[in-house]
Amino acid sequence: MSNFWTVVRFTVMNKLKAKAFLISTLVFLLIISVVVNIPYIVMQFQGGGGDKVQTIGYIQDGDTLAATTGQQLEQYFANIEGSNLVFKGFATSGNAASDEETLKSELNAGELYSYLQFGEVTESGFPEISVKSEKLLDYSVASQIEGALQVIRHNNILSEAGLTDQQMKELQAPIVVDAVQIKGSLSAGNEGEGKSAEEQGINMGIIYFIIIFLFMAVMISGQMIASEVTAEKSSRVMEVLITSVSPLTSMFGKITGMFLIVIIQLASYLAVGAINLSLPHNADMLKEFNIDLSVVDPMLLVFSGLYFLAGFFLFATLYAALGSIVSRTEDLGNAVMPMTFISLAGFYIAIFSISTPDSLLVKICSHIPLFSPFVMVLRLGLTDIALWEVLISFAILIVTIYLAVVVSAKIYRTGVLMYGKRPSFKELRKAMKAYKI
Amino acid sequence: MNPLVVNNVVKHYADKTAVSGVQFEVSKGEIYGLLGANGAGKTTTMRMILGLIYPDQGDIRYNGKPYSNELLKNFGYLPEERGLYPKIRVSEQLIYLAQLKGMSAKDADRSLKNWLERFEVPENYNKRVEELSKGNQQKIQFISAVIHNPQFIIMDEAFSGLDPVNVELLKATVKELRDNGASIVFSTHRMEHVEELCRNITILHRSKEVIKGSVKDIKSKFPKEKVWLQTKQEVTGLDQITGVKAVHRHENGLEVEIADEKVASQILNHALSQTEIEHFQVKEPTLNEIFIRTVGDRNE
Repeated sequence: MSNFWTVVRFTVMNKLKAKAFLISTLVFLLIISVVVNIPYIVMQFQGGGGDKVQTIGYIQDGDTLAATTGQQLEQYFANIEGSNLVFKGFATSGNAASDEETLKSELNAGELYSYLQFGEVTESGFPEISVKSEKLLDYSVASQIEGALQVIRHNNILSEAGLTDQQMKELQAPIVVDAVQIKGSLSAGNEGEGKSAEEQGINMGIIYFIIIFLFMAVMISGQMIASEVTAEKSSRVMEVLITSVSPLTSMFGKITGMFLIVIIQLASYLAVGAINLSLPHNADMLKEFNIDLSVVDPMLLVFSGLYFLAGFFLFATLYAALGSIVSRTEDLGNAVMPMTFISLAGFYIAIFSISTPDSLLVKICSHIPLFSPFVMVLRLGLTDIALWEVLISFAILIVTIYLAVVVSAKIYRTGVLMYGKRPSFKELRKAMKAYKI
Repeated sequence: MNPLVVNNVVKHYADKTAVSGVQFEVSKGEIYGLLGANGAGKTTTMRMILGLIYPDQGDIRYNGKPYSNELLKNFGYLPEERGLYPKIRVSEQLIYLAQLKGMSAKDADRSLKNWLERFEVPENYNKRVEELSKGNQQKIQFISAVIHNPQFIIMDEAFSGLDPVNVELLKATVKELRDNGASIVFSTHRMEHVEELCRNITILHRSKEVIKGSVKDIKSKFPKEKVWLQTKQEVTGLDQITGVKAVHRHENGLEVEIADEKVASQILNHALSQTEIEHFQVKEPTLNEIFIRTVGDRNE
């Protein structure tokens, strides 16, 4: 047992001291900090959202429809609190061409952000409108105007029809439908009520988080474990190692060490992300999400944690076995490819099924050992799953882990002493028979 | 009972036999030489002793007991190829390896410093292995095999890559380990090292034992077929004597190959009749010659 912790400590310390590891972690932390702050940064560049007023010019041409449309827009936006659009009418000179010249020169002088031009009256009851601006593809102004015109027309028609204010309010009152999931049978989740829409939303977020967390942990550590084993093998230090410590101890020491490393790494990403989010300028954004973690079912967290550990362990063991088969780092990519595909498949099945957690695919995959750590959290979080089903799936997973450990330990024991070309399956099986573990 | 008993072990790989019926014993404080051409089965035998692979037949006993994980602490292994982490500092990895052998970090550190001092490379303590010269790497590898004071030491080509001065240094160390009571199995291609260090040897050829026994016995079993002759003036007509197979002229004497030990006295008389003699010796065959004769002949 003391040897086990010696291996764990050595694995962790070496990884933490390795420059490549430190640099890549730091770079990732930097990227996270930037990404978290991007909305704020973008807002700064846009001139702080509502702060900077954009003035839009139009020609006030007496009583023509075009002119009234412009006035209506001017009134509409003036009544909206916090709108950054201000309309400004210009007297017509009678000549359309010279009118546009006036607007253009105002635009060039920086007085106007953009200006409107009105064309023929269309079916919509409004003239054809084009927003002219020096900015490339500025849709936001056009879409705000579209929205405004729709409201204006809506109100015009309703008031022409002679509705009272009360009737208009009734028409505009929002309609709310609540989706509440109820429980049919004894399930693995909380008792009674089932999952409300709010709970489901939070669960969905947590599930996304767990699936991505597991996927990253498996991908990062799997590669690291396999390449460490191969490196030990190719530097022949393995020969010295297995005359000092039993292969099983060395394999699990390494897996545990890597597990700690990945947890440290991912935890530092999370911590940096959280610190950034809690900075004062991001606080408003966080409030908008309205996250209330108290509604999360503790059973979901417990089972997710168990599946996470079991899934990590299963993948890590198999990666270690694959790493022990090849003797050169160059060959490693090919050897671990199957594992990479399997973890990718599990990950995508889970992610793409998040809106259909009841499908047959999900039901089947939640019992297949290498997929279940990804897929089962879906069913746990989003559906009303019976406890016995979870237990069966978990039992299958545990049995698979046991088998994987036995087989991997044998492959490891055998593989670490086989040099040269990658052994064929037959050679491996023959050699494995020779070892007790 | 001897501490290490290798009893008739056999090992097959896929379709070829790597070791077939090897049997020897190593007593306390003895260096046992395992010789053979490349691919003769030396490394496989050593790996079986270390428990890295299990013999298909036969068994190996350590202090009378079969292999078990408890024995790992008593093994010291110097593999033929470099077996160190290239990118990790010498101190870190040797202390790690020593800890795996059951030493405390403090003891391991002290022991490592002593060994580095002794091998005259204390400056390597904080260097990475990849920064060291081949000879210095070999010294570190050597330390990794003996730092925990093991009872059984297996050395595969211990002195490869070392200059003559360092070979002497390590040879003296091996002798000291022997005198401290270790049982050492030693393989090399340098026969003069074997003659100097080993009491008993086995020469393997194509997975089988061809010669086995104490170096003295083996040598005495081979006929003496060479005479060394140094004289004041040149001696002629030696090749006329029946039984002389060839005469080789060296810078400061003659080497005469003879068919039979009895011919030696005729040569001495023949030379005496012509001039004064400075040096006359009927030479024992060297292990090198014995090795080449036994292994080389059978290769044809």
